[in-house]
Amino acid sequence: MMNPAMLLLVAAFAAPLVVSLLGAIRHSWVPRGAILMTGLAFAAAVWTCIQDDASVNVPWAPTWSMNFSLTLDGLAKMYALLATGIGFFVVLYASKYLALHLHHDHRLLEEQTRFFGFLLLFMASMVGLVMAQDLILIFVFWDLTAIASYFLIGFDRAEEESRSSAQMALLVTGITAIFVLLGALALFQIYGTFALPEIIIASNGGRNTGIAVGLIVLGALAKSAQVPMHFWLPRAMAAPTPVSAYLHSAAMVAAGVFLIGRVYPLVAQYDWMLDALLVIGFASMAVGGIIALTRRVLKQILAYSTISQYGYVVAMFGLGGEKGVAGATFYVLAHALVKSALFMTAGAVTEATGKKNLPDVGGLMRRMPLLAAGSGMAAAGLIALPLTIGFFKDELFFAAAYERGMTLAVMSVVGASLTLAYILRFWRQTFMGVLRTEPEPISGYLVWPVVVLGIASVVGGLWTVPAIWIVDRAASVSADAPIHLHIAYHLDARHENVMAIATWVAGLLIYLTRRIWWPAALGVAHLGSYFGPARLYYAGMRGLNQLSDSVHRIEVRDLRSRVATILMPAGLLVGLAVIVTPNSTSSFAVGALGRDDIPLITMLVASVVSAFVVIVVRDHFRLAISLSSVGFSLAGVYAFMGAPDVTLVALVVETVLSMFMIGMLVLMPRPILRFETEVRAERRYLRRDAIVAVVAAGMAFFVAWGALSRPSPSTEVIDSQTVLTAAVHGKDIVTVILADFRGFDTLGEVTVIALTLLGVISLLRTGRLR
Amino acid sequence: MPALNPQKHAGMLQSGARIILLPSWVIAIAIMLKGYADVGDGFSAGVIAALGVLLQGLAFGTDELEQITLSRIAPILSFVGLGLALLTAFVPILFGENLFTHWPGINEHAVHFGVLEFITPVVFDIGVFLIVYGFCVGGLHAIAREEVRQVRLRDRGRYLRSTTRGGSLADESGEVRL
Amino acid sequence: MILATSLAIAAMFAAGAYLMLKRDLIRLIAGMILIGNAANLFIMASGLRRGAAPILPLDEPTADPLVQAMVLTAIVISFATAALALALVYRVYISHYSVDLSRLSAAEEQQAERDEPMTEDLRESVRDDTDGEASPDGRHAREAAIR
Repeated sequence: MMNPAMLLLVAAFAAPLVVSLLGAIRHSWVPRGAILMTGLAFAAAVWTCIQDDASVNVPWAPTWSMNFSLTLDGLAKMYALLATGIGFFVVLYASKYLALHLHHDHRLLEEQTRFFGFLLLFMASMVGLVMAQDLILIFVFWDLTAIASYFLIGFDRAEEESRSSAQMALLVTGITAIFVLLGALALFQIYGTFALPEIIIASNGGRNTGIAVGLIVLGALAKSAQVPMHFWLPRAMAAPTPVSAYLHSAAMVAAGVFLIGRVYPLVAQYDWMLDALLVIGFASMAVGGIIALTRRVLKQILAYSTISQYGYVVAMFGLGGEKGVAGATFYVLAHALVKSALFMTAGAVTEATGKKNLPDVGGLMRRMPLLAAGSGMAAAGLIALPLTIGFFKDELFFAAAYERGMTLAVMSVVGASLTLAYILRFWRQTFMGVLRTEPEPISGYLVWPVVVLGIASVVGGLWTVPAIWIVDRAASVSADAPIHLHIAYHLDARHENVMAIATWVAGLLIYLTRRIWWPAALGVAHLGSYFGPARLYYAGMRGLNQLSDSVHRIEVRDLRSRVATILMPAGLLVGLAVIVTPNSTSSFAVGALGRDDIPLITMLVASVVSAFVVIVVRDHFRLAISLSSVGFSLAGVYAFMGAPDVTLVALVVETVLSMFMIGMLVLMPRPILRFETEVRAERRYLRRDAIVAVVAAGMAFFVAWGALSRPSPSTEVIDSQTVLTAAVHGKDIVTVILADFRGFDTLGEVTVIALTLLGVISLLRTGRLR
Repeated sequence: MPALNPQKHAGMLQSGARIILLPSWVIAIAIMLKGYADVGDGFSAGVIAALGVLLQGLAFGTDELEQITLSRIAPILSFVGLGLALLTAFVPILFGENLFTHWPGINEHAVHFGVLEFITPVVFDIGVFLIVYGFCVGGLHAIAREEVRQVRLRDRGRYLRSTTRGGSLADESGEVRL
Repeated sequence: MILATSLAIAAMFAAGAYLMLKRDLIRLIAGMILIGNAANLFIMASGLRRGAAPILPLDEPTADPLVQAMVLTAIVISFATAALALALVYRVYISHYSVDLSRLSAAEEQQAERDEPMTEDLRESVRDDTDGEASPDGRHAREAAIR
C-alpha cells in the first residue's frame, strides 16, 4: 500500500499533467478529463483522510538540512479536503462556464487547456502546501500557488484590467512571500533546521524567533488579503468566476490562514503577535464589511466579504486559546463551503442575464428557483442562521470574543451584523423584488454545484459529526494540544445566543436604514481608495517605472556616455590609488632595456603609431587598413617575444578580420559611410573624448605597469608543464597546453566561436529578424 | 566579398588561386597534425585552410564559393568540429576518467603511424580546426551572399531609395525591405 | 622594457577608448578591437620569462608558454566577437539606415514616445477603483445603487 501522503500528492499533481497532455491531444476532452482527475484527487483526499496520519521524508539537500518532508496530519487533511472537494465542484462548474466565457469573448476553446491546467496546478500546489513540513518546501509550494493564481487571474489576457490585476496579485503575494522565506532562513539560523515540527519543539520564545515568525505571519496575512494588504483581492475579480470561487474559498486566500494555523504553536508564544493579529483581524472585518456594503458589482461585494470573513479568522487566531483556535479552524471550513457557492451564484447570474452589477438584476427567484434555493442556503450559512453550518462559526466566534471582555464582544457583534447586512443586500436584491433582466436558460452545471454546496452547508448544520471530527484533528495541530469541539444548539439565553440575536437585529437594521448611512460608507470607501495602500502600490509602480526609464535614458540610449561613465571613474580610482598608496613609486620597475630589445621596441612603436593612425583617418576603408596594420605589427611584437604560435595565429586571423571588415563596409552603401566621414564631431565632444581617453590611458598605464613590475617569483608552473609536455608525447608546449592541460578552457572558447558563427549567419540573412 | 575587376586581374589571380588551393590545405593539415611537435595548431591551421578557400571566391566571384563543397558546408563542418571537440572532452567520463583525459596517458606508449603519433589531443585539434575553418568561411561567405543579393536588387532599381535620405530613421524605414 | 611595454599598452588602450566614444558604430568596433589588442599585449607581456620559442627540446631559456596559450585563444575569440559585432552593425544599418549612435538613440526616443501610455494607465487605474462604484453622474446612479 502506498503511503497516503505520497498518494495524495501524486493524485493531486497528476491532475494538471494529465490535463495538459489531454489538451495536447484533443482539447475537447479537457473539461471531462479535469472533472475526472479532480474527482480522483478528491476521492484520494477522502480516502487518505480516514487513514492514520502519514509522512514522507526524503532527503533533499541534506547538507543544508533540507528535506522533502510531507505529513498528512489533521490540519493537512482538512485543507486538502477543501482544496480537492471545492476544487471538484469548481471544475464541474467551470467545465460549462468556461466554454461560455470563451464563446462570449470570441476566443478559441483550445484555451481551456491552459485554464484547467493552471487551475489544477493551483489545486495541486495547495495540496502540497498543506502537507509540507519543511519551511523551504512550504515556500516553494507557496510561490507555486502565487504563480498559478497569476496565470488564472490574468486568464483574459487581452484585457488590460486582467493583466494589471494579475500583476498586482503576483507582486503583493510574491513580494510578501519573500518575508516567508526570510522568516524561514532566520529560523534556520536560530535552530539549524528547516523542519517545522523540530522548530516547534525546540522553540524558546526568544525575540529573534518572534521576529522570524512575525515575518512568516506577515506573508500569510498578505496572502489572506488582510488590511492593509487587502487591495489586490477585489481587483483579482478580473479572473473568470470559477477562479474567484476557488481563490476565495479553498486556495490562495485560505493558504494564508492555513500558514498561520501551521505556525500557530510558535505564534501563540508571543502576546504582541496575537494582539497584532486581533487588531488586523478586526480592521479587516470593518474595512471589508463597510466597503462590501457600498459595492455595486456582484463579485466585488463577495470579494470584500472575503476580506472581512478572513478578518474573523485572523481575529480568532488573535483571541487565541482553545476556543479561538478551534473557532478559526472551523470558520475556514464553513466559510469555504458557502463562499464558493455564492461566487458560483454570482457567475451563474451574470451568465444568465449578462449583467454584472447588482442594480441591474433582481427578481430572479421565480425564473431560477433552484439557484435561488441553493444560494439561499449558502447565504444563510454565511450570515450564521441556525440549522446551517455557519451558525456554529459565529457561535464559536462570539464565545471566544466574549471571553476577552465586553468591548471585543460588541465589536464582533458589529462586524457580524455588517456581514448580515451585505449578504442580505446581495441575495435579496438578486433574487427578490422586480425582475430587471430576463435571464436566459443556463446549463445545470452552473446551478447544481451551488445547490450541492448549499445543501452541504445545511447538512453540516444539522449533522455536525463530520465537521467536528475534521476540525478537532485540524485544530489540535494548530494548538499543539488535543482539542475537542463542543457545538450544539442550546435553546437558552447563554451569551452566544444573545449575541447572535443581537447580530441579526443589528444587521437587519443596518440593511433597512441603508439610505441614511450610505453616503458615509461611500465616503469611507472613497477615503480608502484615495489614501489607502493601493495608492502606495500605484505610486511604487510608477516610481519603479520612472526609475527604469531614467536608468534606460542614462545608460542605454546613449552608448557613449555609458562608456565614459565606466572609463572615467575607473581611471580616477586607479589614479587615486596610485597617489594614496604609500611608497607607490618603489613598486614600479623600469626594467632592463638591452640591445636585443631593439626589434621588439620597433614593432611596439609601429603598432602604437598605427593605433593613432586609426584615430586620425576619416575614411572607413583606411580605418580598416590601419586597424589591420596594428594587428600585423602586434604579430611582429609576438614574434620577437618568442611566441611563434601566437604570431602565426595573429597573422592569419588579422588577415581574415580585415576581409570581414572590408566585406561589411562594402555591404553598407557609400552615402551612409560618407555621411559619417564628413560630419565633423562637435568641439565639445572632441574635448570630452580626449579627456576620457587620456584618463583611460592613465588607468591602463598604471594597471599594466604596476602588474608587470611585480611578476610572480615562482616559475614552477612553467617548469612542470615543460616536463609534462614530453611525457604526453608533445613538443610544442603551447599547443599541449591548449589541447591538454587547459583543454577545457579551449573547449569553452571554441564553443563561443561556433555559436558566434550562428549569430553572424543569422544576422546577415536579412528579412528574418526585423 | 568583393570580386576584383575580372578583366584586369582574371588570368593571374585565377590561376594563382587555383594553384594555391591544394597547397593551402596540405599546409593547414600539416600544421594541425604536427601541432604537437612544432609551431601551429588547430586555430592557425583552420584560418589558413579558410584563406585558401576564400581566395577562390576572391578570384572567381561568389558563385564559385557556392560551387565549392568545402565552402558550402562550412557552417556544418564547424558544428561537426564542435561535436568532435566535445566528444574528446566528455567521452573519458564514460570510462570513469576525468574530463579531457587524453589517450595515451602519461609516459605510455603511443601508436606510431610513420613519423606521426596517434594521440587523442590531435582529434581535439581537428575539432578546433573545423570550428575555426567553418567560422571564417561561413562568416565571409554569408557576407558575400548578402552582397550579391544587394547587387541584384540594385540592378532591379529597387535598391535603397531611402539611403539618400540618410537620416530618416524609424518612420518609413519599415517599408523598404532588402 | 617594462615601462616601454606599459606605455604601448596605455597608448593602444587610449586610442581604443577614444574610438569607443565616437558616434560611428564602425569606429566603436574599431575601438573594441584596439582595446582587445592592448589586452592581448598586456597578457603577453606578463609572461614570467622571455626567451626562445617554447618547443622541445630546450637548448636555451624559453618564453613563458602559458601566456602564449592564453593570448592565442584570446586573439581568436576577439576576432569572433568583432565579426559578430560587425554583423550586428550591419543589422542595425538594415533596420535604421544609419550607423550613427546619436540618430539611433533619437529614433529610439521616438519609438518610446509611441509606446508611452503605460504610465498614464497606472495613473488612471487609481481613479477606476472608485469610479466604477460611484459614477459622477450623480444622484440617479447613486439611488439605483442604494435601492
